[in-house]
Amino acid sequence: MLAGLAAALGKDLRLLARDRVGLVFLTVAPIVVISVAGLSLATLYGAEPRGGTAPVLPVADEDGGWVGRAVRERLADEPSVRARPVATAEAARALVQAKRAAAALVVPAGASEAVGGGRAAALVLLTDPVKTVDVAYVRALAQELRHGLEAAAVERARHELDAARAQAADARARFVHAADDLHRALDDLGARLEAMRADAERRRAAAERELRAALAERQAAARARLAAALAPLRAFLAELAAKRQAFAEWLAAVRERAGHFADRVPPPPEPPRVPPALEELASADPDAVAARLVAPDGAPALPPLAPPALPAAPSLDLPALPEPPAGRLPGPLALEETSVTGAPRRLNTFDQNVPGFGVTFLLLGVLLGVSLGLLDEDEWGTLERVRTTPIPLTAVLVAKLAARAAVGLVQMALLFVVGRLAFGVSLGPEPWALFLPTAGIVFAGTAFGLVVAAAAPGREAVLPLGSIAIMTMAAVGGCWWPIDLEPDWMRRAALALPTTWAMEAYNDLMIRRQPAGAVLGATAVLLAHGAVYLAVGLLLFRRRVLRGS
Amino acid sequence: MAPPILVEALRKSYGAQLALGGVSFEVAAGEIVGLLGPNGAGKSTTLGVLATLLRFDAGRVAVAGHALPAGAARARRALGLVPQQVAVYPTLGARENLRFFARAFGLGRAEAARSAAAALDLVGLATRAHEPVAWLSGGMRRRLNLACGILHRPAVVLLDEPVVGVDPQSRERIFEAIETLAQGGAAVLYSTHQMEEAERLCARVVLLDRGRVVAAGTPAALVAGAGLRPILRLRTGRPLPPGWLAGVAGATLADPSAPETTIAVTDTATAPAILAAALRAGGDVLEMALVRPSLADAFFALTGRALRDEDAPAASA
Repeated sequence: MLAGLAAALGKDLRLLARDRVGLVFLTVAPIVVISVAGLSLATLYGAEPRGGTAPVLPVADEDGGWVGRAVRERLADEPSVRARPVATAEAARALVQAKRAAAALVVPAGASEAVGGGRAAALVLLTDPVKTVDVAYVRALAQELRHGLEAAAVERARHELDAARAQAADARARFVHAADDLHRALDDLGARLEAMRADAERRRAAAERELRAALAERQAAARARLAAALAPLRAFLAELAAKRQAFAEWLAAVRERAGHFADRVPPPPEPPRVPPALEELASADPDAVAARLVAPDGAPALPPLAPPALPAAPSLDLPALPEPPAGRLPGPLALEETSVTGAPRRLNTFDQNVPGFGVTFLLLGVLLGVSLGLLDEDEWGTLERVRTTPIPLTAVLVAKLAARAAVGLVQMALLFVVGRLAFGVSLGPEPWALFLPTAGIVFAGTAFGLVVAAAAPGREAVLPLGSIAIMTMAAVGGCWWPIDLEPDWMRRAALALPTTWAMEAYNDLMIRRQPAGAVLGATAVLLAHGAVYLAVGLLLFRRRVLRGS
Repeated sequence: MAPPILVEALRKSYGAQLALGGVSFEVAAGEIVGLLGPNGAGKSTTLGVLATLLRFDAGRVAVAGHALPAGAARARRALGLVPQQVAVYPTLGARENLRFFARAFGLGRAEAARSAAAALDLVGLATRAHEPVAWLSGGMRRRLNLACGILHRPAVVLLDEPVVGVDPQSRERIFEAIETLAQGGAAVLYSTHQMEEAERLCARVVLLDRGRVVAAGTPAALVAGAGLRPILRLRTGRPLPPGWLAGVAGATLADPSAPETTIAVTDTATAPAILAAALRAGGDVLEMALVRPSLADAFFALTGRALRDEDAPAASA
């Protein structure tokens, strides 16, 4: 069985190797179609990364300032357009009018000054309305560029504002710090004044006590001296009183003696009267006098120390410096496009076209190859002859499919290599993973070829039947254009086609840059398709072969 | 011991069309048996059944001792089919074709290479071994077609008109190869509607017509059994007068309506007497031919149909 299978496989590989035209068809034709389609449709998806498909974009920098310079520099680094500097807007317009460019970009004079001065300015896009695709792409690019410049300007202003805010914040912080210091100094001053006041009070009280003591001492001394001083006066007054008493007695005696003449006796001169105060003074107790004159507690009290009330430390109600306002500039509302898979934002059109047209030609090769190969064997009579050998029919068919599948795998590998070298297609983070969907679609395609061979009534029916099947599967399955361009119902219907799953897997690996694990599901679906096709194909083909027996 | 080819009461129909209506014959080892009949007689159907390609409705068929259809897989190991169509890969070389079929018949790689080389020598294609078959002449392709069916030295060889369109030189090489096979012990069933081929190769023939065996035996026995006599054909410049053959014993006019004068003879030795009689009668004898009865004549005599009957039913073709 295995030897027979190997013999049949070897024979089929030899048959394929002798089919030079077929091999050219399988290799050169897809490369040509991929090149043509990729270069033709490049602007539909983006552009191939080496600029070969980039549209020409005349750029007139009449500004000469930083805006014009930035525009030119950005476009010079943009692979999806070929920027051609021209001197004036008129020259740019002439190129568009001459249909040598779909659009031209003009940086008007004064743009830099206007933007720098906060005034509005505009880039001018001159367009040819017929070349809608290129214009749309350039328009989007110009918008992106404009937005980039605008965002950069805003960013610069924001930086400046941030710097000013930082300075203001620093000044505010220093002011607050100084205010705090001042508050602290005032508080300290108040405390010190209070202490000084208390100390003065204490000193005054002490002085007052000393003063009182001294005064009491001096009062005592004064009383003593007063008593001493009043003693003669008191003696005099006592003597005076005694004398006055004596004089009155004498006078009374005189008058008595003068009998009835006493009326004629002139009144004696009135002795001066002792002032009552002096009399009182003289009669008063010296201590009382001293006490009256120098009261023991009559020492003059020291005037209360009345320092001016401590001035309330000025509250130093410094106005709170407001926080520096947040950036007042309207923040640039950027559209930040991020591939959820981390893949580049720009699509290399060949990342779509190489697997897409590769799968198309793969199907042409394997599907038509298998079906026509089996019909060839039928016509040559070799199929019937081989059926008389010990090799089972199933082995014969499997060998035929395996040979075609091997060629299909080589074909796809070759296309990926050429795509990589010529068009820079991505092979994904794990290039080996491309084998998974490739093996799946090769298996499904070859097995479907068996179905076509079994279903087609004859050779003349294979081409139309196979072609319709292949073209439909390729087109609907997203081999020729991104499947997302198709309406929803068609995309749902496309899930029944193996091409859909193959392209989904290739897109995951090559464009979305997913690891191999991301395509295991799609590969399983492809293998399931292949298994079903194989089972149906074997059943139908055996029935077809045995129909006449 | 069962013969390598055994067919008993074989019946096969395609729908309502009866293809074989109880065919029986056998081929012994080392024997070459011709299977003769017009188109539609059932030859290809018989070969198809023996080659395990066709199922049959009734009867008993065995190939190399393996009863069909149950023993088909084992029978194929002993089988070598040389189909009427040149069934080889046109884009491969002769050697590549031979090696593939040798491997397909279960030979090892080295043995396949040796067998391919021997087969190339046998059919005289060693010098063209590497050329694509499409470049070879029709005769060479026929020889390769034969070689592909016999290179594994099968015990049973089924040949379906293997020399159609072949030049005489190639045909003789093919005949020699077939005889070599038979001498090696193979049972050979040779299907043809060319009686000359059967007479040249076959020890026995089986005559088929409308799915039935109408006769079987050695060619001579079949002719004799059909009661056929040799024919003498005379072409004369002037018509012979009535009764000119009256004096010749053992000779009678066979077909008065034929443009040529046709005389049935019981013995070929009477030919000189007939010629003399024609001359005496004033016949200007332009040409005289003695024709011995053939298998075709025998078939015609037996069935009333020619072996090359283009109007035969197509179902069993």
